[in-house]
Amino acid sequence: MRRLASGSRTRGRRAGLVAVLLLFLLPAAACELGIENPNNPTEEETLSDPNGLVALAVGVQGIYATNVDEFVTAPALVTDEWGTGTRSLPSFRTLFLTGPENEVDRSFAVVEDPWAAGYRVVRGANDLIQQVPDSRLPAGLQAGILSVARLFKAMAFGTLIEQYEQIPLDIEQDAPEFRSREAVLSEVLSLLQGARSDLEGADLGLTRRRVLGEGLDLPNTINAMLARYNLIAGNMEAAVAAANRVEPDALSELTYTSTSRNPIQVLQFRAEQVKALHSWTQEAEAGDGRVAYWVDEDAQPQEGNPADSLLVPLERYESPTASFPLYLPDEMNLIRAEAFTRMGDFAGAREEINAVRSEESSPVDEPVADLDPLPVDSLDTEQELLEQIAHERRYELYSQGLRWGDARRLGEGVTTETTLDFLPIPEQECVANPNSPCP
Amino acid sequence: MGSADPSRLRPRFLAAAAFLAAGALLLTPPSALAQQARTYTIQGVVRDSSSGEPLQGVSVQLVGTARGGLTNESGRYEFEVTTEPGTYTLRLRRIGRATVRRPVRLGGDESVRVDAVRLRQTAVELEEMVVTTGTGAAVEKQEVGNTIEVISGEEVEATPGADALDRALQGKVTGAAINATTGQAGGGTSVRLRGTSSILGSAEPLYVIDGLIVDNSSTALISVGANAGRGNVSASNRISDLVAGDIERVEVLKGAAAAALYGSRASSGVVKIFTEEGQPGLDVTLRQEFTTSATPNRYDLLQFPRAGLADVLFGPADSVGQRVERFDVQDRVFRRPVGTSTVLTVSGGSGEGTSFFLSGSYRDQPGIVESNSSEKMGGRLKVTSSLTPDLSVTGTFSYVTTDRSFLPAGEQVEGALTNVIFTPTSFDFRFDENLGRFPRSPILGPNPLAVIEQFEADQETRRLLASFQTRFRPTDRLTLRYTAGLDDGRLESRSFQPRGSFSASFSGFVANPIRMSRQFNNDFTATYEQPAAEWLTLVHSAGFRSTWDRTEVVRSSAREIPPFRDLVGGASQFASQAISQFRTVGGWLQERARIEDRLFLTGGLNVEASSAFGEEERLQYFPRASLSYVISREPFWTSDLVSSLRLRAAYGESGGQPPDPFARFQTFTNLSFAGRSGLIQSTRSGNPELEPERQEEYELGLEAGLLDDRAQLEFTYYDQTTKRLVLPVDEALSRGVETQFRNVGRVNNKGVEAALRTVNVQQGDFTWRSRLSLSHNENTVTDLRTRVDTLLFGFGGPFSNAVVEGQPVGAFYGTLTARDEDGDPVIDPDTGMPKRARNPDGSLKRTILGNPNPDLKASFRNSFDLGDRLSASVLFEGRFGNDVANLSRRIMEFFGTDAGVKKEIQRAIERKENPDLQPIQIALNGALIGNFGRYIEDGDYVKLRELALSYTFGRGVADLFGAESLSVRVAGRNVVTFTDYSGLDPEINMFGANTVAQGMDFATTPVPRQFVASASLSF
Repeated sequence: MRRLASGSRTRGRRAGLVAVLLLFLLPAAACELGIENPNNPTEEETLSDPNGLVALAVGVQGIYATNVDEFVTAPALVTDEWGTGTRSLPSFRTLFLTGPENEVDRSFAVVEDPWAAGYRVVRGANDLIQQVPDSRLPAGLQAGILSVARLFKAMAFGTLIEQYEQIPLDIEQDAPEFRSREAVLSEVLSLLQGARSDLEGADLGLTRRRVLGEGLDLPNTINAMLARYNLIAGNMEAAVAAANRVEPDALSELTYTSTSRNPIQVLQFRAEQVKALHSWTQEAEAGDGRVAYWVDEDAQPQEGNPADSLLVPLERYESPTASFPLYLPDEMNLIRAEAFTRMGDFAGAREEINAVRSEESSPVDEPVADLDPLPVDSLDTEQELLEQIAHERRYELYSQGLRWGDARRLGEGVTTETTLDFLPIPEQECVANPNSPCP
Repeated sequence: MGSADPSRLRPRFLAAAAFLAAGALLLTPPSALAQQARTYTIQGVVRDSSSGEPLQGVSVQLVGTARGGLTNESGRYEFEVTTEPGTYTLRLRRIGRATVRRPVRLGGDESVRVDAVRLRQTAVELEEMVVTTGTGAAVEKQEVGNTIEVISGEEVEATPGADALDRALQGKVTGAAINATTGQAGGGTSVRLRGTSSILGSAEPLYVIDGLIVDNSSTALISVGANAGRGNVSASNRISDLVAGDIERVEVLKGAAAAALYGSRASSGVVKIFTEEGQPGLDVTLRQEFTTSATPNRYDLLQFPRAGLADVLFGPADSVGQRVERFDVQDRVFRRPVGTSTVLTVSGGSGEGTSFFLSGSYRDQPGIVESNSSEKMGGRLKVTSSLTPDLSVTGTFSYVTTDRSFLPAGEQVEGALTNVIFTPTSFDFRFDENLGRFPRSPILGPNPLAVIEQFEADQETRRLLASFQTRFRPTDRLTLRYTAGLDDGRLESRSFQPRGSFSASFSGFVANPIRMSRQFNNDFTATYEQPAAEWLTLVHSAGFRSTWDRTEVVRSSAREIPPFRDLVGGASQFASQAISQFRTVGGWLQERARIEDRLFLTGGLNVEASSAFGEEERLQYFPRASLSYVISREPFWTSDLVSSLRLRAAYGESGGQPPDPFARFQTFTNLSFAGRSGLIQSTRSGNPELEPERQEEYELGLEAGLLDDRAQLEFTYYDQTTKRLVLPVDEALSRGVETQFRNVGRVNNKGVEAALRTVNVQQGDFTWRSRLSLSHNENTVTDLRTRVDTLLFGFGGPFSNAVVEGQPVGAFYGTLTARDEDGDPVIDPDTGMPKRARNPDGSLKRTILGNPNPDLKASFRNSFDLGDRLSASVLFEGRFGNDVANLSRRIMEFFGTDAGVKKEIQRAIERKENPDLQPIQIALNGALIGNFGRYIEDGDYVKLRELALSYTFGRGVADLFGAESLSVRVAGRNVVTFTDYSGLDPEINMFGANTVAQGMDFATTPVPRQFVASASLSF
């Protein structure tokens, strides 16, 4: 068009008019096509800017916190913690019920969502681990952010390997390879060790002010996770050592606001997909103070539909701003009890169990059993100890996403039959990842 | 021509076109104007050939001078022309009449009287004037090599009860599937021209009103029909905001071959609307209309007075077989409302070149379901003025407000009809005085009566459309046009759910999102007509176009709302803002050659850049070419049977914009945690290499006038392929992202369109005309080239509309009944219900279950006129070969609300079955819910779409009102539906105008049956 215009400019009046108009109009509008996206910053902006990295460190914790329901739902439904009612979606029911009409499908959100959420945490953590060391952030904050990133990456892998039989570790590959449970646990432990070493150079005050969620205690959480995953990996001494490093009366929790609400509250009270199983209440020891901490003890199941008659509402997450504990202080006692039992120190184990049982009050928000300690003769064999540990864990660590793993680890000691061994690998992973070991 | 490789053609074509255009301008002698010009006044009269009545609105033109006029109500015309003496041709034409040419001699006498001309009715409309291809210059239909459907404004306005323009086109466009998406008043319409040509992009055509590109989005701000999170469609689309009046004519360009000059926004076709202009004199018309509406159908709910399992589980019964009272709450949901519509137009002109058209309208249409209504008010002013004989300007301004209240429906927990089909009919929904509130449905959500009385789901739109057009003709051969248009819209939605409505702990929800959109377009065209030789005329045109769209959505909502308050406020408030904008800039060239009066060749190239694509992919070329050959004008043509014949062929390319103008960016999204603002990777990774979807289309066709042009047969074959579809390709979730938009796959639409227009009887005053149109389209998705060959839309889980290679877009895909070797269902002995089919490995089998796209679309219209007084018309429309997913029946069978459940209750009573109450089995037939195939039904239908009778009174009666004329009309719309479909209406779709999710019926309001009475007075 330009050729036409310039060629005709010197001839004829009318042609000139056309040319002038075209020349005037074309460049006037030909610019301004590089419209930027005003809604969201780009990857480049976020990762190259210190403020972007700080925001990403907040986001990594946030994505874990907003998806924490994904990390506890399947473990609670396949065991004897939660149940589904008439208002539940069929996909939720398949985790709770068995039989040909209740098959878990790979494409269900209950299968895909925990996986997707876990890997979003890992992806964000990877970006931080890669970009923070070269950033202009102060060194103390760099170390603090790296510690947070490694901790959350470890927790994401840890919770995934509790739900799926094998998972990828290196997600920077085009088609991530699946790794065995052992390899994953070893990666989790090495990340947690890394998070612990990062702490040495970290400016914790600055990290708390700019990055850490209110209520989140970084050093204690790293040690508690080291204790939890060493126990799962079978490293008993390391588990005890890590549990001993956790301060007894400290809490570490994910907190919520009225606008970013506790997802378990949404799942139970707004969406009404799941509720507590009434049997959990009924099977508790008389006077166990922990029951009322977790569920609404006075509520009676809804009559009418048999499905609903099994259920009672949760108490702990009734408020949209209820926090979610990343670990509970008494889990450390029970980790030590289990490790001592496995190592043959039955007296040590008994002491830990009774410490949990006889707790009468706590300075922090945690379940308190206020039960009588058990006599020696009822806790003097490995079998008895493991059964008792399973029982205490059932009431102390209710709906923390740990019961499925307990059932695997403590075997017959656990009074639940799981409806599934593991979640299947999600459909989308099967289809889009050629390295996925799907049938 | 269709086989030419466009990529190789491009450079040469561009060079040739530029050369031709440049050459034309160089060669034109500046002194082409006449030297001894004189001014003549030409006048005459035109009458109907059979009745002899004067004919109004006949266009009279002195060929070769671009001067002419229109006949007035007494059939007279008169115009002035300045030209040199000689013999000229006077051409007289009007839609529906055979064009007549008369030689006129301009000599010494400056006042020329032409003998009376009689025009006869015809089915052939070769010389109809159409404005095509965005060039802005009017050309005759015969010059264009592609089909252009033209619908007259009278026909649009005569559509009974159609308050939206797109719906008024139902049954009037060959090859188009035009469906109401819901039967609620103010609901939207989905228009598919020649099949679905995209997957994520809009499959709806581009709308252009008087050169202004208007917004036709259907973004959902609140969830009213389908779940916004899944279908993301609104109950209405933005064209339905506009008033379906004041239309002179509508032109429909169906595919790339016709629409290429609209470039990257036209791959789903273009609907061009031209509004009326004032005529000399003064005309005042007042039209008043009353409409009654009723539902064509109701759910057949269980009324058997003995309890089934669902009544035990959720209702008042204690055991199966017990007597129960049953209710049919539909009596309280459906109603028969009366709507009104008033239109006042004042138009006129000075006769010296200035005319105006002013109209105001008000329409109040209550819906057939309670609490649903649509109120529309609009005004429009169009002023045209010829400042000098060479220069005219036109300004059009219209302002429309629409206030709609919807009754929540569809896949929504708050849907009213949804709760009706979910809840056992033994449940009493009526207000409970003891509780002081409506009892809550024991199954799904709130009580439907509470939804009617207390919930709000409103939509208010305000639209200002303004366009400015100017035309400058420095010589008789050169025309310059400039159009600027602005569509400034504001859509405010409102959703309110009172405290306690879902459950005792539900703390209420209120949302008030606002969408502000602005679209601006700017067009400049230059056309130069060059008589290169006696047998050859060249028309060179070039143009420039830019468009700019900006949309901003601001959302505010609250939960934990205080009592007695229904504005956004309360303990927990949310707000968000999102901006979307994009621009296109382009220029084009077009060459048209007229060889004698029978061969017409056109070639053009559009170059366009869009901000939605990365720099590398930004510049796009869209070529086009067409040929039209009126073979019957050859001297050798002497057939009596085929009185006229035109052959045509066309090729063109067009494009589509990506679903998100920012799809090329890799972004991080806001995520706050513990009161801190954070960022996290978006689940969709950006693609800087994204290219526009590109459609290539060729079409071949003919128009044959038969039996002295009493019948016209129009036939078109087309083949269009959209390449490089923009689709979200699933990524391995373990990479921390979920999808990426990529250019994968193709959709092909291939089909034939045929229309037969006939003047069956023309005797004295009586005329009977018919129009039969048939079209067949085959839609196929190919070359998905992703690792995923199935993409699911709509519902997920065990059933969906899917995009599957080798299948049509939106094919139903899911589980189905197991069948034995004889094809009979395999029955589970435990439940007595059919089993689902399984793969050899034991997993559930999923397969293609049906196709929501029709194989054959047909419409048949007959109109009868007795003089100018009495006229009647009947329009049937049919769809054949399409399937509908009857998801309502699925729920009714599962929850035991379907009348058919009676049989199972009887069986249970007879066998004294005391069913073992499984925790999850809520109805006896619970095994069926996972069996999607069972609910795919034949969606074939024939609707008596329109039925109208109108009468114009004689002068005497009109005089009683002081008017010049008075006409009255009674009409019906969707009067009868013939279908085997077992649901309420096979036409609707809960996902609205969604490109892929089609044919889903789930408690969606059926399209009403309407009767209209109207009177129109002219002064």
